[in-house]
Amino acid sequence: MFDVLPDRLAWYVGGPILGLLIVGLFVVANQPLGASGAYVQTSGLIRRRGEVVVWRVWYFVGLFVGGLLVTQVLREGAEIRSGYDALRDVFPLWATVPMVFGGATLLGYGAAVAGGCTSGHGMCGTAQRSPASMAVTATFMTTAILTTLALRVVTGGDL
Amino acid sequence: MKLNVIGLLFGIAFGGVLAASNLHEYDTIHAMLRLDEFDVFWFMASAIAVSAPLLYVLERRGMRTPFGGDLSLSRSMPEKHHLQGGALFGVGWAIAGTCPAPALVMVSSGAMLGLLAIPGIFLGLHLRERQQQSGQHVGDGEHRTTITTGR
Repeated sequence: MFDVLPDRLAWYVGGPILGLLIVGLFVVANQPLGASGAYVQTSGLIRRRGEVVVWRVWYFVGLFVGGLLVTQVLREGAEIRSGYDALRDVFPLWATVPMVFGGATLLGYGAAVAGGCTSGHGMCGTAQRSPASMAVTATFMTTAILTTLALRVVTGGDL
Repeated sequence: MKLNVIGLLFGIAFGGVLAASNLHEYDTIHAMLRLDEFDVFWFMASAIAVSAPLLYVLERRGMRTPFGGDLSLSRSMPEKHHLQGGALFGVGWAIAGTCPAPALVMVSSGAMLGLLAIPGIFLGLHLRERQQQSGQHVGDGEHRTTITTGR
């Protein structure tokens, strides 16, 4: 709408801001900024399960709203990018649909087994200097890079 | 009530930073995992470089938080499930090119494939939950206390 943030924010701006957000949530509530936990609480609320950490549901909603604010209000909203150009260039839609859904299911399952995802373990856990989080992070970075390499080999270097 | 507002605000800020850094796009994550572009690695590293020393100092000074008692960091030793879960997560991350927080931003950016990613993540978390009756703070990463008050 306003096109205040047309370009990609540099890592040396975005990274430290995120670091301060991590510290901020610990300072206010002594809690990590993990995202998978917000999914767990949100699905608990939808399925009307007994004990729900309600503020994490609001956090879940906030993630969506924050994205909306930047992509639709602070950026020119007219141009909607799928963000999947690299994948769509190589695979037809009938293949990308199960890839995205299946990949998401796998990462959700893995996050539940590991007890956290990129935010909970990768950033907040590592920032707390937890050996378990560092092990999770090193493991998912390794398998993700190897999987990407495998996809590149399978597609003859197109992806 | 107040904690809900704080949760919402932190969500907005985190989602905003992810969106401004284009981390909700498959292409950004893919370029990182292809090792073509190191911006996302630096993004994560600088977030940790800023937060880790601050958390260390604040914990040592015995900071008291308004909602969660004394600031207490959690450290645990790696167990088998950390490696297994991490390995599966990495494979899924590379295929889908997104993870839980950026998937929400993907939808708000208007990228409709995000509407597949979010139900997928819910399904994956649910499948695990059905396998074992897990604790309440599953998925948050490392922490000891869970605050349930604040409805």
